[in-house]
Amino acid sequence: MTAEVRTDRPAHGGLRAWLLAETVTSPAQARAQKLYLGWRRFASNPLALIGLGIVVTLILLAIFAPLVATHDPFAQSLDRRLLPPSGAHWLGTDELGRDIWSRIAYGARITLMIVLLVALIAAPLGLLIGTVAGYLGGWVDVALMRLVDVFLSFPGLILALAFVAALGSGLENAIIAIALTAWPPIARLARAETLTVRRADYIAAVRLAGASDLRIIVRHIMPICIPSVIIRITLNMAGIILTAAGLGFLGLGAQPPSPEWGAMLSTGRAYMLGSWWLAAMPGIAILVVSLGFNLLGDALRDVLDPRAS
Amino acid sequence: MRAGRTGLLAATAALAMAWGTAEAQTRTPRDALVMAWNIDAILTMDPAQIGEVVTDEIVNNTCDPMIFLSPDDESKMEPGLAERWEVSEDGKTYTFHLRRGLTHPSGNPVTAQDAAWSIHRVLHLGFGNAAQYTQWGLAKETAEQQVRALDDHTLQVTVPEPWPPSLFLYVFTGRQGFILDRKAIEPHIGTRADGTSDYGNGWLKTNTACIGPYRLTRWTASDTVILERNANYWRGEVPLRRVIIRHVAESAAQRLQLERGDIDIARDLNAEDLAAVDANPNLKLNAALRHQLWYIGANMEHPILGNDDVRMAMRYLVDYQGLERTVMRYSGKAWNSFAPQGAFGALPPERGLAFRLDLDKAREYLVKAGHANGFTVRLMHGTAFPSPDIAQHFQANAAKVGIRVEIEQMASGQLFSRMRDRNFELAFLGWSPGYPDADANASRHVFNPDNRAEARQGMFLSWRASFYREWFNDAVQRARLERDPEQRKLMYYEIQERFMREGPFMYNFQQVRQLAMRNEVREFKHHAFKVYYTTARK
Amino acid sequence: MRRLAGEVFRQASAVGISLFGLLAITFFIGRMLPLDPVIAVIGDDAPQSTYDMVYRELGLDRPLWEQFAIYVGKVLQGDFGVALNTSNRVADDLLRVFPATVELATVSIIIGVGLGIPFGVIAAVHRGKMIDHIVRVVGLIGYSAPNFWLGLMGLVVFYAMLGWVGGPGRVSVFYIDMIEPRTGFLLIDSLLENEPDVFWSAVEHIILPASILGYSSTAYIARMTRSFMLEQLSQEYVITARVKGLSRARVVWRHAFPNIMVQLVTVIALAYAFLLEGAVLTETVFAWPGFGRYLTLGLLAGDMNVVLACTLIVGLTFIVLNLISDILYRLLDPRTR
Repeated sequence: MTAEVRTDRPAHGGLRAWLLAETVTSPAQARAQKLYLGWRRFASNPLALIGLGIVVTLILLAIFAPLVATHDPFAQSLDRRLLPPSGAHWLGTDELGRDIWSRIAYGARITLMIVLLVALIAAPLGLLIGTVAGYLGGWVDVALMRLVDVFLSFPGLILALAFVAALGSGLENAIIAIALTAWPPIARLARAETLTVRRADYIAAVRLAGASDLRIIVRHIMPICIPSVIIRITLNMAGIILTAAGLGFLGLGAQPPSPEWGAMLSTGRAYMLGSWWLAAMPGIAILVVSLGFNLLGDALRDVLDPRAS
Repeated sequence: MRAGRTGLLAATAALAMAWGTAEAQTRTPRDALVMAWNIDAILTMDPAQIGEVVTDEIVNNTCDPMIFLSPDDESKMEPGLAERWEVSEDGKTYTFHLRRGLTHPSGNPVTAQDAAWSIHRVLHLGFGNAAQYTQWGLAKETAEQQVRALDDHTLQVTVPEPWPPSLFLYVFTGRQGFILDRKAIEPHIGTRADGTSDYGNGWLKTNTACIGPYRLTRWTASDTVILERNANYWRGEVPLRRVIIRHVAESAAQRLQLERGDIDIARDLNAEDLAAVDANPNLKLNAALRHQLWYIGANMEHPILGNDDVRMAMRYLVDYQGLERTVMRYSGKAWNSFAPQGAFGALPPERGLAFRLDLDKAREYLVKAGHANGFTVRLMHGTAFPSPDIAQHFQANAAKVGIRVEIEQMASGQLFSRMRDRNFELAFLGWSPGYPDADANASRHVFNPDNRAEARQGMFLSWRASFYREWFNDAVQRARLERDPEQRKLMYYEIQERFMREGPFMYNFQQVRQLAMRNEVREFKHHAFKVYYTTARK
Repeated sequence: MRRLAGEVFRQASAVGISLFGLLAITFFIGRMLPLDPVIAVIGDDAPQSTYDMVYRELGLDRPLWEQFAIYVGKVLQGDFGVALNTSNRVADDLLRVFPATVELATVSIIIGVGLGIPFGVIAAVHRGKMIDHIVRVVGLIGYSAPNFWLGLMGLVVFYAMLGWVGGPGRVSVFYIDMIEPRTGFLLIDSLLENEPDVFWSAVEHIILPASILGYSSTAYIARMTRSFMLEQLSQEYVITARVKGLSRARVVWRHAFPNIMVQLVTVIALAYAFLLEGAVLTETVFAWPGFGRYLTLGLLAGDMNVVLACTLIVGLTFIVLNLISDILYRLLDPRTR
């Protein structure tokens, strides 16, 4: 991997030819080719692109909520309550006269925050427990995996319900509760990955060089596991969104007047006969976003595991 | 049960045929009343322990008290199981003469011994209802001397102070004044953790044993309550054979079932669904103003909320009239005083609704209080209508004058325990007084016997809010002993208007009980305190 | 056979350890609950002396480990204590509510299997064609839609507007309490008692919630069937059979399908277990008097006994279903025999 090789840029034929070249001249090119081919496979699937589009839209909506919202999401007006969708209120107004479209736009921030925070808590936790169990083995492995089994023997929602009841309702606690139910599959995955590399020569070499167990786990094993963990948590995001919405629906998640979609749906339920849009709109938002993550996850699975497609 | 079933089946089969042709016709049996209601709160059927609206209504239709409230006027008392009573010269001894020849559904005679025992057990069990007696000076330790049967039909009750009889006698109109069937209960008496008798509390959780128009035949928690009429009821058999209460939590679901004729009466409709019922020619609304008040309570220990001007400012942050027109259109009347409309001593309407939404006034008071720049405060409330709506409404208006309100929604059990621990800043809650007199709330909201934290006087709202002022304590005590009604009324006026300025509670609405029913249901009576299944026909 | 017995024993001990773990976790979660179980018993306005007495009566003054030890001892004897909400023994309540959920889940799984397997096979056979994409998208929507929301919308459309199905609840109000529970399954009990009206009312009421729960099972089962089937279709024996001139339908249903049945058993068992989870919110929407609603209500009332018992039962059901599918797998699959 010399300097000359790295500058071995495509002389003619452009980037595309370089990415598709039969003969690979550098590891960087190999990696880039793999990514590119993956992207081509991904992009050839219209459903995957729709999924990606939905997720990107969610992110843009969250970032630009103040720009796309037509009203203040918290501004109430007793004279304008329960108005059906119209030019002034695209998705209608709720029981206190708030604009539903604006609330859904701001609610995108909450949804995005939930999935990101759950990922940020569950992934490191699962990673740590999985790699420690896999690397150290023995009774530590047995104990930790037994714990994982216990957690896995609950359906996620029921465990999250129990946790959130214990912690008290509220968005932060709902996020913690969901994260506490999301780490076990990640731990299992990380353990399996660790088992495949722990006997590798370079790990042995590092150990001989005098590195501590902790250092080996953190510096050498975890980085190897990270890509598959990230993919795994992406696949789970639709489930996270649905669990969060379920908690919100039971009144255990985000608190009023927060425009969390599950909570909005829960309120709208009381008005579903006369004013269907109160419950329908946030429900559609949840459905679309969770569908987006599912489409994306599905396509990722195809790209990464061609055998299954 | 077997015979009843066949009859019911025949009726429904006939109806099933009719329903194919005429959709609008009710699908419920003619001799049964089917009601949809959120009955999650039911914990027990023991009258001594009951503390919430649903069960109170049910037991009032299964048990007769010593004194009835007139079905047509809640402030009128009528002889019940006691056919007459006298008060002694000194105003401290009451003698009740029970009707002769009455029998419980078990066949046991109704005796004064039963009546005395029923009162003793309320005092000994010491649940919330005991306060209905203890506030008049009856006590667990002296119960057996204060409440005695002179013979099988005469009951004597002695109180330490000459209370106005019109006030004290209310205690015998409620669930604490039922005469229970002691002989039927005795075989089921157990013991409590501290070794004392449970007075049949365990068994009465799921059974009724008293004289009344209906008896409980089934209670499945959060599902169904079924009442069956008692044959040979002393006032004549009631028209409807069965009352079926079906748990349905959502307003929308109740409305659907009502419109489709699956039920006869819906109990928990919100404003929108009530409006739809109002507009439906097959359905009707039947309203009664209850004495339950909704309020935002402030904790006086809070450094900012303890300031009278801050709370004055907050009273101007609710659009009482606007809410009454919209969200509360069918469910509430705007009201700012602790004595509900309809109670003895309540302020006249224009004085009882003293506030309106006025942001400038609110700002003025905040400046006066030295909080011109606002502050942040936490407001907790339950999940049931209208708590979330009014709490968010208040939050939005408060934000306009710089008060940042953080809302915390929680289950009612948690809400109550936080209140009892004085662990709150602002709380949105409802409260129902026990009798139609200003004293009912004055004695719990205004009067505070002992404000020390360790006194644990959780049954007094004033204690929960750490509200303790000598003037109010004296005034409430004096009014309670005043025997001249006119004078007593004026005393309550003064207390109420001062409490509006100084009190910790910002009252906003008085509840209206709306019964949404099918046109076929007739003569269903209810008023502020009771709902009567006994007069209804279909 | 001895190997099987050994396997069962190994699994059983694992189950035991897992269950103990379940108990420990839920118990300590439960003791953190901010809800006050005492208030739930005595009401809002009782004096402090009563409060203290009930506090002791509920054993809340003992040390945590002691409360836990007592609890485990009782559970081993099948005693889950008394539910605060209902005043009944939790074990009795569970016997009452569980059949309602099992009935709902069973009808749902029948829908899930009945639709999921054919759709999965068709999608696999027509891989990459329009029908495959449609099955896939419809399936993904089934995964993605919050089932409580589908339930609400279903009620509005099919009950309120069209009147095709029954409303909330298990049966029309006036049939409640008419059928003595024998099996606890209303659809069966009403037929046993020869009450066709009740039976039809029950059918009317179960069809919507079961369809909605069945939808997500359909999605899951179709997806798994498709991927198992694709694997089989790429096997040599299939290609050989096709080359020999057998019809495609015959190859798919007579040759390939039997080979995936073993795998499907596992999938169906798992789908069934997940219906219990789906039931929590669906039962809330449909006022279905089952275990999910019982759990939610217990949770909101701070009723530890109920929460513990329900989570234990769910955990147990999951473990047992896994165990059964494992054993079936070993029994049915020639390769593992």
